[in-house]
Amino acid sequence: MAVDITLLFRASVKTVKTRNKALGVAVGGGVDGSRDELFRRSPRPKGDFSSRAREVISHIGKLRDFLLEHRKDYINAYSYVMSEYGRMTDTERDQIDQDAQTFMRTCSEAIQQLRTQGVCKLYSEQRAIRVKRVVDKKRLSKLEPEPSTKTRESTSSEKVSRNPSEDSEEKPVTEEHPEKVPAESQPELGTWGDGKGDDELSPEEIQMFEQENQRLIGEMNSLFDEVRQIEGRVVEISRLQEIFTEKVLQQEAEIDSIHQLVVGATENIKEGNEDIREVSTLGPPGPPQCGTESRQQRSSCWQGGTSALLWPSPQGSPPDGAGQSHFDPRQTPDPRCYQEP
Amino acid sequence: MAAAAAASIRERQTVALKRMLNFNVPHVKNSTGEPVWKVLIYDRFGQDIISPLLSVKELRDMGITLHLLLHSDRDPIPDVPAVYFVMPTEENIDRMCQDLRNQLYESYYLNFISAISRSKLEDIANAALAASAVTQVAKVFDQYLNFITLEDDMFVLCNQNKELVSYRAINRPDITDTEMETVMDTIVDSLFCFFVTLGAVPIIRCSRGTAAEMVAVKLDKKLRENLRDARNSLFTGDTLGAGQFSFQRPLLVLVDRNIDLATPLHHTWTYQALVHDVLDFHLNRVNLEESSGVENSPAGARPKRKNKKSYDLTPVDKFWQKHKGSPFPEVAESVQQELESYRAQEDEVKRLKSIMGLEGEDEGAISMLSDNTAKLTSAVSSLPELLEKKRLIDLHTNVATAVLEHIKARKLDVYFEYEEKIMSKTTLDKSLLDIISDPDAGTPEDKMRLFLIYYISAQQAPSEADLEQYKKALTDAGCNLNPLQYIKQWKAFAKMASAPASYGNTTTKPMGLLSRVMNTGSQFVMEGVKNLVLKQQNLPVTRILDNLMEMKSNPETDDYRYFDPKMLRGNDSSVPRNKNPFQEAIVFVVGGGNYIEYQNLVDYIKLSQLGQK
Repeated sequence: MAVDITLLFRASVKTVKTRNKALGVAVGGGVDGSRDELFRRSPRPKGDFSSRAREVISHIGKLRDFLLEHRKDYINAYSYVMSEYGRMTDTERDQIDQDAQTFMRTCSEAIQQLRTQGVCKLYSEQRAIRVKRVVDKKRLSKLEPEPSTKTRESTSSEKVSRNPSEDSEEKPVTEEHPEKVPAESQPELGTWGDGKGDDELSPEEIQMFEQENQRLIGEMNSLFDEVRQIEGRVVEISRLQEIFTEKVLQQEAEIDSIHQLVVGATENIKEGNEDIREVSTLGPPGPPQCGTESRQQRSSCWQGGTSALLWPSPQGSPPDGAGQSHFDPRQTPDPRCYQEP
Repeated sequence: MAAAAAASIRERQTVALKRMLNFNVPHVKNSTGEPVWKVLIYDRFGQDIISPLLSVKELRDMGITLHLLLHSDRDPIPDVPAVYFVMPTEENIDRMCQDLRNQLYESYYLNFISAISRSKLEDIANAALAASAVTQVAKVFDQYLNFITLEDDMFVLCNQNKELVSYRAINRPDITDTEMETVMDTIVDSLFCFFVTLGAVPIIRCSRGTAAEMVAVKLDKKLRENLRDARNSLFTGDTLGAGQFSFQRPLLVLVDRNIDLATPLHHTWTYQALVHDVLDFHLNRVNLEESSGVENSPAGARPKRKNKKSYDLTPVDKFWQKHKGSPFPEVAESVQQELESYRAQEDEVKRLKSIMGLEGEDEGAISMLSDNTAKLTSAVSSLPELLEKKRLIDLHTNVATAVLEHIKARKLDVYFEYEEKIMSKTTLDKSLLDIISDPDAGTPEDKMRLFLIYYISAQQAPSEADLEQYKKALTDAGCNLNPLQYIKQWKAFAKMASAPASYGNTTTKPMGLLSRVMNTGSQFVMEGVKNLVLKQQNLPVTRILDNLMEMKSNPETDDYRYFDPKMLRGNDSSVPRNKNPFQEAIVFVVGGGNYIEYQNLVDYIKLSQLGQK
């Protein structure tokens, strides 16, 4: 049936109270409070200005009084006839002049500074306001209308408070600035209008954006999955490549050894070839049978490649080394090829 | 539109309103003494809700001395509590905050017709703080009464912005998604308030692929969320109240207007439906223009003046309650009968008066005196009753006469008969073209309605040549052809979806009442008006309801979706978990119902109750 939301109402009253306290306003709600607060804030910089200005003014006043005071004495430069107290030496007068001059310079500088500072402050504030507005617009585009309307109102009130404070302060200097300020505020208002238009369009835009978001999420997820798959595959590939390189290295070692063997074998064969050529080209200096036989046998021996000797011969291997008459001393018996009887 | 509930929705809403007016303390009827005098502030929505239910006299009984519109200029009344009954819109909230600031009243009892959002509540809190009026805001309530009950068993969503949820709003081609969402949200909000007031969680069934389905999904979600939130659930035991005795849950049937476009166009023949169709009838109030009698104006005197009179047709009106569903000739007859009985009673009283007058001169007949005293006392006690009867008879005589005039002027009986024949697919004795071209039969609207019904019910579309002929005849009669375009498109869509709805068999029989009425010399000279009697027929909506309630299997309704907000997990099935037939049902047509369907449902209920016994 009916729902009693009185408690809810009291609770919201409390929240509003605490919120107002946080904003620094005792009584006065919402926008009014923020405007009051800003009005309170803005006199403070005003105070800065005015205190500095007042300082300068007081300094100038003091100097004026001082000068006025000593004027009589100053003017009475040529009347040494006057009292001793009022007498001023020239040096004193010079000093007074110098001091006055420096003081005037500092005062004018201070005034200049105040003026430029005023201008700088204006510009910095303008920039700050603009930055705030951009942030608000960004937030708008993220489709949060409520807080931004409040800040927009507060910035608008800030601007409003800013302009009168500046105007009242330094009229001649800041005359051109307020003109700039409203001129700038006009296009800003235009964008504000667009912002408000965005607000009105946002329900549809919200929907569109939500749909786009969904789509983007889906795409990102699929991309992510693909990337993960690819990662897995790359890992596998790297592993396989490791194995591959291992094997290749093994094979390399084996091939090296084979290579060595082959080289040795070719050398042996070459030497063997040479031996046989020598034997065949030498002819038969010993007994022909022997020679031919030996030649034949030697060749057959060599052809057979066996180490068995086919005809007996005295132990050719000459431990005594002499009397090897049927051997050509030019022939060097290769004990490897054949055995000497 | 709703069927009967244990404690009718009208009673419940009235009780809720009375409680609200009693500062949200339950109202004790027999309390003696003066009620606390207070002021009632409402907006147009609140006004529409209260006016069919509480009369000004009843408001006064509750202690309301002054009732004012929210957005009017109101003077401060510093020592009186004020009861607000408004919708929580921005402008209303602003105005209420203004009131708080201006310190208009002593204390404020704020009641919102539907639930208020947290941020708006904080706005009010702000204003109350600013005005230091927090203690003055005594109570804040969400009333959940965002619907208008017109009859014991019938409610509508709204009257002020009914364009927003009308058929056109939902079905026009240039609607945007966000607008549709708004419309759906409005409908769902009202239905939700209805069920909160009823105190029951229904089982929802709807057809697929229609606006009704959208409403069903949203309503299901809303009910579900509310039930899950155990702390703030609106359906806990104490809200059911003492009147809720049925333990079964009601059935909510959500149908879309598109299943049956012919019935709203149909010309009416029952009393209530005729009054609504022909006269200016809103929120149970009918506004008549009466011209002063022609014969009374003397020659050359002031011209005829038209008086506007308005009558309230309330549940207290016994004649209305009895006859609002009867065909018009019966109504005419009954009025006549009532008039006669009233005259007899009046004569009785007059006779007594004359006898008493005589009696005063003759002192001798004391016995007659005592006898007549008894008669006199009975006559005196029945005098207020008699006066009330007279008033009602006058009322109904005026209303029925107005209706009759319209019928005669526009030949509505002819239209009715013809449309019945078309819708029941019996043979037509008169050509459609003749009726359309007949210059004194009906307004262009009537002709358009007739033709549209013909077009909708035709099995095949008429040929191009015929169509051209009809179009020409219609434009000659002054009709605008835009509705025809729409119906053509609609029919194309409907053909794709399902077979066109059939209307059951009905015949209309002319009865011999005419002669009897003529003979008794009554005011209702219904010459030239056919007396047609409806035979029982079942409109598509009633058929659907019958199928769903009795769990009959029917290709039309088998595909309906089934929602049970109390189930933990929603599913998309069409299979109902509950196999028992329902005892209570609420039928809601998304896009607007009408009195014809309402009457048909009421008749169906009567029949089924009779059948069960």
